[in-house]
Amino acid sequence: MNCGENTLHPKSFTRHLLARNHKKKSYKRAVVVGLMLTSMVDMFSLLVIFLLQTFAASPELLIVTKGVTLPTAITGRELKDAPVLSISNEGIFLDQKLVGKTDVLLKKPEPLIEKLDALRELWQKTHPGATFVGEINLQAHRDIASSVVSQVMGMLPSSHYGSIQLAVYGGASSE
Amino acid sequence: MASANIGASQKGRKKALDAEVNLVPFIDLLSMCICFLLMTAVWIQIGAMQIKQSHGTDAAQTSSKSYEMSVQFSGASAIQVSLKRSGKVVKKVDLKDSELSKVLAQFDSTIKTWSPIWKAGLLSSAMVTPAKDVPYGDLVATLDVLRKNQIVNLGIVPVSVR
Repeated sequence: MNCGENTLHPKSFTRHLLARNHKKKSYKRAVVVGLMLTSMVDMFSLLVIFLLQTFAASPELLIVTKGVTLPTAITGRELKDAPVLSISNEGIFLDQKLVGKTDVLLKKPEPLIEKLDALRELWQKTHPGATFVGEINLQAHRDIASSVVSQVMGMLPSSHYGSIQLAVYGGASSE
Repeated sequence: MASANIGASQKGRKKALDAEVNLVPFIDLLSMCICFLLMTAVWIQIGAMQIKQSHGTDAAQTSSKSYEMSVQFSGASAIQVSLKRSGKVVKKVDLKDSELSKVLAQFDSTIKTWSPIWKAGLLSSAMVTPAKDVPYGDLVATLDVLRKNQIVNLGIVPVSVR
């Protein structure tokens, strides 16, 4: 077409029409912009699958008691499902239930020991024939005196809880 | 818009067979799924440090050849580290500084020099003795240093609060 256009006389009517048509075309631009939705849907689907796989694989085993800020550690490993003993400024909690004030329980630990024994008996009833491993998760506020935590930990072996897991922020690598 | 071209009409009588899938509700659903997953996700990872409480149990059985490490807090930022063999102190170091983080850095470098002992499997356990003026967070930081150096058989000595 262009070749034909060049061969025309400069003042010919056909050339004038062609020039006008060309002018019109150059002024008008497409208003509707196309958006490729397929790639966006692909990306969204991948994102959903990734998020589902990431968060569904690690169930939350431990609920941090109110008023407890856990210490941080880099060598923490994966948590195991076990009873949770919490030491906060308000007192000592066993599976989110208040057992008593810390200073009172350090002097008279019987209520805590009774509850721990009851938990162990319940475990033995629900797991007949299995050996009791004595695992317990211990969560304590990071500003509490370490001597208080050590004393509470000292009570646990008397109820056959010898394997204590200190809950910490961070880590959780499966060793 | 996504479409599936099944076949073009050759004559004017037949209807076009282009089937179009409306992607907008699908994108809405996926967006909602992403928002829900991001909002309900647990971002803070909780881990655990295993402690074998030997008092009252038969957890720590030591032989005469094995060593025992003792880490004792003598203040808020002072620790005493000792290696014992058959009840006798073989090595002893006192570490003290203005901040516990500095003390723990010294502690880390000190026990690194003793690492051939536990790499040879001669360390039975490491017992940490807390103190009244030491917060629990600092005790965990000390245990973290021990675990970082592959000392995994850890225990905490119960001390009196008074």
